[in-house]
Amino acid sequence: MRFVAAVLATGSLFATALPAHAETGVSSSEIKLGITLPLTGAASPGYNKIGDAMNAYFKYVNDNGGVYGRKITLIQKNDEYSPQLSIAKTNELILKDKVFALVGPLGTANFTAVHKSVGLARRGVPSLFLNTGFSGFANKKAYPTSFAILPSYAMEAKIAAQFLKDNMAGKKLGLVYQNDEFGIDALGAFKAAGVKFDVTIPYTSGTQSAATAQTWVSQLAAGGAQVVVFFGVTSATAPLLAVAAGAKYAPQWILGSVGSDPLTLRALGVPVAVLNGALTLSGNPSPNDTNDEYVKFFQEINTKYNKAAFDDYVLQGMNLGLMTVQALRAAGQNLTRKGLIRAMENKGSTFASVGYSPLGYSKTSNVGHTGYYMAVMDATGDRKPYGGSVVVYTTDSGSGPVVKSTFKRPALPAKGLPTNS
Amino acid sequence: MRNFKFKRSLTLVTVSSLLSLTVVSIPTAARAADPACTTANFVTTCVGTTSDTAPYSMMVPANFNGTVYLYSHGYRPNVPVPAGIPGYGGYTVTNTPQPGPNATVIGALLAKGYGVVGSGFARQGWNADSAIKTNVELVGLFKKQFTKTTKVVAWGESLGGFITQALAEQQPALFKAAAPLCMASDVTPLMTMAGDALWGIKTFFDPTIKGGSYSAGAAGYAEAMGDLVKVFTAIGSLQAAFAANPSTPAWPATSKVPDAIKAIPSRSALVLVALMSGIPMQSAHFDSTSAPAGLPASNALSFQLAINPAFAALENVANAAALAVLATHDLELQAGGAVFDNTATDYSARVAEEQFAWSSALSGVSGTQGLLSVLAASPRAKADPAAVAKMKALASHSGKVEIPTILFTGTADPVTVAGNQQSVLDKYAAYYAEKWAAAKKAGERKRPVNNQLALWNFPAQKYTKFTSAGAPDTSVPAASGTNHCNFTTSQYMAIADLLAYAADNGVNMSGGALLTKIRKAGNMTLDRGYSAPKMKYYGN
Repeated sequence: MRFVAAVLATGSLFATALPAHAETGVSSSEIKLGITLPLTGAASPGYNKIGDAMNAYFKYVNDNGGVYGRKITLIQKNDEYSPQLSIAKTNELILKDKVFALVGPLGTANFTAVHKSVGLARRGVPSLFLNTGFSGFANKKAYPTSFAILPSYAMEAKIAAQFLKDNMAGKKLGLVYQNDEFGIDALGAFKAAGVKFDVTIPYTSGTQSAATAQTWVSQLAAGGAQVVVFFGVTSATAPLLAVAAGAKYAPQWILGSVGSDPLTLRALGVPVAVLNGALTLSGNPSPNDTNDEYVKFFQEINTKYNKAAFDDYVLQGMNLGLMTVQALRAAGQNLTRKGLIRAMENKGSTFASVGYSPLGYSKTSNVGHTGYYMAVMDATGDRKPYGGSVVVYTTDSGSGPVVKSTFKRPALPAKGLPTNS
Repeated sequence: MRNFKFKRSLTLVTVSSLLSLTVVSIPTAARAADPACTTANFVTTCVGTTSDTAPYSMMVPANFNGTVYLYSHGYRPNVPVPAGIPGYGGYTVTNTPQPGPNATVIGALLAKGYGVVGSGFARQGWNADSAIKTNVELVGLFKKQFTKTTKVVAWGESLGGFITQALAEQQPALFKAAAPLCMASDVTPLMTMAGDALWGIKTFFDPTIKGGSYSAGAAGYAEAMGDLVKVFTAIGSLQAAFAANPSTPAWPATSKVPDAIKAIPSRSALVLVALMSGIPMQSAHFDSTSAPAGLPASNALSFQLAINPAFAALENVANAAALAVLATHDLELQAGGAVFDNTATDYSARVAEEQFAWSSALSGVSGTQGLLSVLAASPRAKADPAAVAKMKALASHSGKVEIPTILFTGTADPVTVAGNQQSVLDKYAAYYAEKWAAAKKAGERKRPVNNQLALWNFPAQKYTKFTSAGAPDTSVPAASGTNHCNFTTSQYMAIADLLAYAADNGVNMSGGALLTKIRKAGNMTLDRGYSAPKMKYYGN
């Protein structure tokens, strides 16, 4: 924060030169956006690809005229997954870099800390497409300038619960979950759905390691769990699966969407054979599904602008970019923070997105995608729809039913360049 | 409170009271109504007493420019602290006058042609009401003694910051400008914060701590000093346990929590005590973010999310707990009974948001719920209604100021938390809105002048240092923005300059001049969008 005074001084010199309608982070030629996420450290695998992927899509848009002539600049800040550092880095984005909005800030604890300490709502800073599924962020009164993108963990657990009841009846069930609002969201939904686990193992975020995974596997095996549901991050999934493989413990795995990217799991040392047959919940197509127009397009963008190994995180990042551009366009040429929030409320539910389920944005809702389908991993680690075709279920984070979706996903805009207004 | 702070609370037994280091040495021989003055090195120093027997000191240079700085010192205990008590042993009650933050700042002000004046106050402890009267009388005496005086500005730290804000609110004709620094809150939230911290330590770590309802007279004094020993014994045990096994430190032997709860690391209980009391999670040496180099990635993340915050809580709670014992004993003496009451406090609601952000440090949701269940099941402290009424009748801030005021604090001050400054800012904002609404109703089109300038000292993003062996290094100076009233001479002088400007111009400095001034001072931030976390106990 030492720089802030100087920064404010500099900023004030330019303030009077801007046009009357000028908004922080917006000039006649540029829109500045910011994201906090772990770029290094134990929690970074996979997550550290989201920002670059988003940026790759923005470069493509910039090369094609930008948004109403303005080019997008995305500033990434490494918070190492530490909430205290997220606060500092977000302050930096707002005060030093003077970003117009946050896009895709990652982590539930992180965003909780940021929202309170930085005062995003009080400052009127839009926070689009939070990379967390905590259902609490759907409280529009408490988070009036924030918008989710992921279906909530509660939705995910409700859909998983329905699957368990329909397909795994009579089997001994185990649950490993992150012992914070992430897992508690899931736990509450499983309980409400009437699913009882024979072995329940909470773990505290940050304690995941091969050593702790050893104790999880021992407990699961001792409890005779035949089906193990996992609600945690990839850096916890990996040691769990790797240790289980070493111990020849092979239950039916059901992996939550957050911690199941095959490429990242393999990079973290999980033998691909272990992934074969693992079930997972997903809201997006497989990143290898080149029949999907979004995936195909994003792969091309990745090849040209990013050159990362294309996986769920890259797909997610590029899709966040696509949605961001639509939001900016919907807010109009006279871009303001208030206008962006209004655009999200009024038009956000119509945005094109790779996700298979409807978007829940409205004047009274900041909920993003609302559903999942069940997928199974194959011998190569690729993800295929369970039962051969994508069957999406939607629900809410409360007591609403789990229903088969009839939603038809909007087509990818021509050349991947939104023209909405 | 200004005079009590830990610079190295992880080495508690070596810490001594900083009182003797921070009080300016002033001759106190003359205690008569008329001051005794001496002149040396072109500076005239006058000492004397106000009508309440409070000693004062006035210092004026030969080239006195007519502006004088009235300084109010911080909290000094109203009882001696016997030798042998870690951190405080050997303190004796003193009312040595203090006309400025330290000798360097006083010298710099005198060199610029300003006068300085300050009282030692007649009574120590929470003395705001009497100190306000003393200061008003002292300003009159100064003007009488130095008739060239044209402007008086007030400043002070900690309890002195509280007194300064009160002077600004109550005596706008007497002062041209005021700067409450690292200000104490009104006494009710102060005692709630202190009481919550002390009750938390008692409940988790040593139920034999009395924590309040001290007996009258010598017996009560002995009880309070006994509590100090127990509090620091418990904190010392935690410190040793943290050092031995930071991941799962043992509980102190004095703890009586159920064995099932002891499965939760004791560090999480300490973090909960900090969070429920509103004590910041960045301390002098712990940024709640860093990990030693060379740790495996998973261990580094755990250190960042769980261990570093626990060390921060340890340092900060040690500061707050000491205040809690001394201030509780003092306020009970003044009010005539117990003043801390948590019979209706819902600690679960208190940490409803914080528990998400600090989930790992609290050992997850199940750990948090387990610890909260202990609090819910433990006997609560009940106050004496008459004593509470007396306490509430003591001076408090309305936030309504008509003279320029400059507020400055560290956002990680563990004793006078940043929420104190925020509380006054919020009160002024409400007052300003009322004034503007009334003016508009009367046909006024121009906004009234905003007389309040709030500055913050934010700690750096990362500042925890580690030894080559990977252990936290607490031998380095406290980080800027942390510790109690931890200001540099440059910051003091920037505040002094801002006061002088406001006194000369009737408004606070603004624009580029202000930004340049604070940038040069270092670690002073103007951010009108910032709002310090404010616990529910402020009542607004």
